[in-house]
Amino acid sequence: MEDLFTWLDNTPPEPAPGPLQGKTVVVQPNMSVQDRPTGAGTKALSGYVALADATLVGNLRRAGAVLRGAGRMSELGFGLNGDTAAQIIERGLADIVLVTDTLGEARAAGVAGKVPALKPSYGIVSRCGLVGLVPSMECCGILARTFEDIAETLRALAGADPKDPSMDADGAGRVVRELEKEAEPAKGMPVLGRIAPVPGLPADPYAAAFEAALSRLAAAGVGIREIELTDRALVPGVHQVIGSVEASSSAGKYDGVRYGHRADAGRNWNEMYLLSRKESFGPAVKSYLFQGGYFQYKNYDAFVDACRVRARLVRETEAALETVDAILAPAGTGAGQGATAGEVYDAFGPTLLASLTGQPALVLPDPAAPGGLQLIGKRLGDARLLRAGQRISDLLSGDTPS
Amino acid sequence: MTYEAVIGLEIHVQLNTATKLFCDCPNRPGDDPNTNICPVCLYLPGAMPRLSRQALEKAAIACMALNGEIQAESAFDQKVYYYPDLPKGFQLSQHHKPLSRNGWLDIEDEDGQPKRLRLHHVHLEEDVAKLVHETEGRMPISLVDFNRAGSPLIEIVTEPDMRAPRDAMAFLRALRRQVRYTGCADCSMEQGTMRCDANISLRPAGSDALNTKVEVKNMNSIRHVGDAIAYEIRRQGECLAAGEPIVLHTRLWDPEKRVTTAMRAKFEGPCVPDPSVPPILVTGAWLDQMRRRLPEMPNQKARRFVAQYRLQRDEAVMMSADRHLSDFFEAVAALDVTPRTAAGWLATRMLPALKERGLSISETPVAPDRFAALVRMVEKDEINAKSAKTVLAELFTGIEPPEAIVERFGFRQVSDAGVLEEIVEEVLAANAKAVEDYRGGNKKSIGFLVGQAMRASGGKANPRRVQQMFQERLAE
Repeated sequence: MEDLFTWLDNTPPEPAPGPLQGKTVVVQPNMSVQDRPTGAGTKALSGYVALADATLVGNLRRAGAVLRGAGRMSELGFGLNGDTAAQIIERGLADIVLVTDTLGEARAAGVAGKVPALKPSYGIVSRCGLVGLVPSMECCGILARTFEDIAETLRALAGADPKDPSMDADGAGRVVRELEKEAEPAKGMPVLGRIAPVPGLPADPYAAAFEAALSRLAAAGVGIREIELTDRALVPGVHQVIGSVEASSSAGKYDGVRYGHRADAGRNWNEMYLLSRKESFGPAVKSYLFQGGYFQYKNYDAFVDACRVRARLVRETEAALETVDAILAPAGTGAGQGATAGEVYDAFGPTLLASLTGQPALVLPDPAAPGGLQLIGKRLGDARLLRAGQRISDLLSGDTPS
Repeated sequence: MTYEAVIGLEIHVQLNTATKLFCDCPNRPGDDPNTNICPVCLYLPGAMPRLSRQALEKAAIACMALNGEIQAESAFDQKVYYYPDLPKGFQLSQHHKPLSRNGWLDIEDEDGQPKRLRLHHVHLEEDVAKLVHETEGRMPISLVDFNRAGSPLIEIVTEPDMRAPRDAMAFLRALRRQVRYTGCADCSMEQGTMRCDANISLRPAGSDALNTKVEVKNMNSIRHVGDAIAYEIRRQGECLAAGEPIVLHTRLWDPEKRVTTAMRAKFEGPCVPDPSVPPILVTGAWLDQMRRRLPEMPNQKARRFVAQYRLQRDEAVMMSADRHLSDFFEAVAALDVTPRTAAGWLATRMLPALKERGLSISETPVAPDRFAALVRMVEKDEINAKSAKTVLAELFTGIEPPEAIVERFGFRQVSDAGVLEEIVEEVLAANAKAVEDYRGGNKKSIGFLVGQAMRASGGKANPRRVQQMFQERLAE
């Protein structure tokens, strides 16, 4: 079992009151826990021990949660290669597992672990103390066995943090207030949107299961409406251009000068620096950084275009979400070789959209199919999305809520 | 072919804020190495930058003093390059959306005519760490001091409006005067709180071409900037005369050898928007608030000094060039001293005395009231100029009032007509030759007679009074 954890603390906890009292939580080792190894799955940070708790870790402790340990993770949270979150939650080793979600990692781990998982709206959970790679997309995703636990965890995590000025402080407050409200009884059946498929593109491996789930929902009375998204075919490319550029900058701090891995060889500081970076990163991250370097140095216009398409995607999906309760999309397990950045992206196709747009996205395990279903909600509509998720989940499993 | 030089400057000014630009560390780069550091300015994993409000305010006020237009929206970019002085592999700087655009400063050209030099923009950025290269035995080592990493800077980028070294030097003096006035920065090139790089190219006189430029760095005084530009103009002229092309590169000024030498090829890293520092959006109300904090600036003040104190234009310019000096002048002028006399005494006595002692006007131990008392005694002929110089020196050494010093040294001038008449008569009797010369048309010989009278009085006679008496007696 130790193999699943970077560190594990089995000492019986002091009982602490709070909404998460007694709930066990496992984090990823890229979420700073004071005096604990926070290596983010990369040799660049081998032996790095956090000086202070990340804001979200402090929030968990205050809510009464029991911090059990940190799992293992892919390098800098890029993909799920070597990640143990799904096994930890599936084996019942924790009630709640936190995973940063950049391409859809938390959602894919939820599908693999057969539990619901939420990527919250971007900007409502502090990133202070989170060791990441793509600042404009990554957020702390939540895996739990029940929707209530996810909602309660989000309520504890979300909220303005003066140490993270990039947050949407007002939006975070609004989400917390929504989560605290009593749910109103549902009026009629939900209406879900599905994004019109791109003609000519090969269907993803979950297409058949997704279509089957749609039919079951339609049969149960759920409204299904097709949504046009002009740039839907560009989503993976836009995510990869912006993500790789941000990653290339973010990883610039791993140079062996102040902390982390430093190469032994090198005749001068310049060589020490080059060798340390060369030895620090694995092949997938390295190829991602090279891509980012290419767009930064050689093709900046492509980056500018990608930012423009991203803004249009945000506008179009938000407009579409005015007409439906949520967008329904497939979700995979993120499984794949992951030897290059391209392979990692191939494994996360269906989850990239919400990472780009910053909208909340929730996966529901589908007991009848290998993949999962993903619901994308309006930005800051996290509470409503969780309620919709519960309802769809009940409909799929045949429960009719009273 | 005759060429003219095209010169543009890039000036970094360190703002004198209490903290660094993105964290709460003290902004004191000179402290013991690596004492003013924290997870943010070392960029430890998980650290988040938070823009200092004070730095933004001081930057905006400095931009206003340079007549810039503060932009409604500005934002930080990551200027990417890899070097051990840069803790995160990029520098947070405003490349795409600077804080302020346009702006100008007026200088005087060689004919004393006003010449307006335009600014392209002013942006905020963080300073980098300081590298110290040493050897440990025979092993070369590089030490990094992160105290300076994250200190707030504004970078002022001019248009290529300068044509001669004197333009650049006058511009830097004007810039320093304006920014110092705001109290937002110390602007000392010697101490590194103002750093200037110059871009220089040549073109046929009268053309409006912009040719390949060469950047010159490492000048640590305004004079060095002038010298380096003059050298570079000469060097490029010689290259062109020899048919050698000018290539884009960076050169270092060597103040010992007084030459520029080529250094590493100029590297421009890419600049991408930073996803973590929110954009700066300013409102009209905030701009008004900042504008109210802008003090009366030197040009305005000089005009007022002419109107209010009847100073000559050049005296008014001098008295308003430094904010502390202008405050001192106004304090003295308010103490029953003729303003022009006060200005004259400040310029010719006080400032040289301060310079001799390595002090600035803000550090003077001679308060305006003691200085005013001294000038008043001179104005009333109670002491002569020579004694006044000694009294001023004494004022620097203690807290004694000038009246007491005058008494202690027995400097009070003799203006009593009876006493002076006696001395005048004695001198006339003893110097028949000079008297004869004077009467023969050599009016200068009266100076000799006055000198004799002064000596006879032990330096205490009122020289003006004595001269007057000689003139009266010799006119008889």
